[in-house]
Amino acid sequence: MNLTSHLLLMALFAGCVAVVGAVLLKDTLRQQARSAAEIFGSLVGAALVLGWILYFLPI
Amino acid sequence: MAARPTSKRPARPAAPSPAAPSAAKPLALVYLLGWLIPGGGHLWLGRTTKGFVFLVMLPLMFVTGLALDGRLFPFSLGDPLVALAAVANVGAGLPYFIAQALGVGAGRALSVTYEYGNAFLITAGLLNALVIIDAHDIALGRKEQP
Repeated sequence: MNLTSHLLLMALFAGCVAVVGAVLLKDTLRQQARSAAEIFGSLVGAALVLGWILYFLPI
Repeated sequence: MAARPTSKRPARPAAPSPAAPSAAKPLALVYLLGWLIPGGGHLWLGRTTKGFVFLVMLPLMFVTGLALDGRLFPFSLGDPLVALAAVANVGAGLPYFIAQALGVGAGRALSVTYEYGNAFLITAGLLNALVIIDAHDIALGRKEQP
């Protein structure tokens, strides 16, 4: 599979985890949609923030 | 003999009862079905929408992990992290055994997407474990029907 964009793969992973997590945690469709958006945003946001922090570290 | 005074206290409201257990399904079968078929436990307990979401999403994550050159780790007691990853892989249930039978999941460490593939494979198994725990709660009546 020629799917090598790290950002896209990260978003795909976050999307899958968000859907499963939201369906597990919430019961109504509205709550699930909101929860999935929160989980997705948190995962992608945290990855971007950590990525920038690591960028400045001399590793 | 004086008649006993009747109590004027209002009747105490009944305590909220937990949701009824789902028709007393055998827990061991809920676990087994939920493990082998992701979402199978929910489907059997009548939570069809949730069950179908898990049935689609978890095998999809597993197959994506394989397509991204991820590896199905062996049980290696000498390397605890590899052993833990193997346990997580097995958590995916039937997709894991099908992949093993087909001989896929060898992993390609030189692939750009190798680590992503591993993340998908391991997470699919761990999420299925959470799904089984959720099915357990439903079977015991700890979660109310929405």
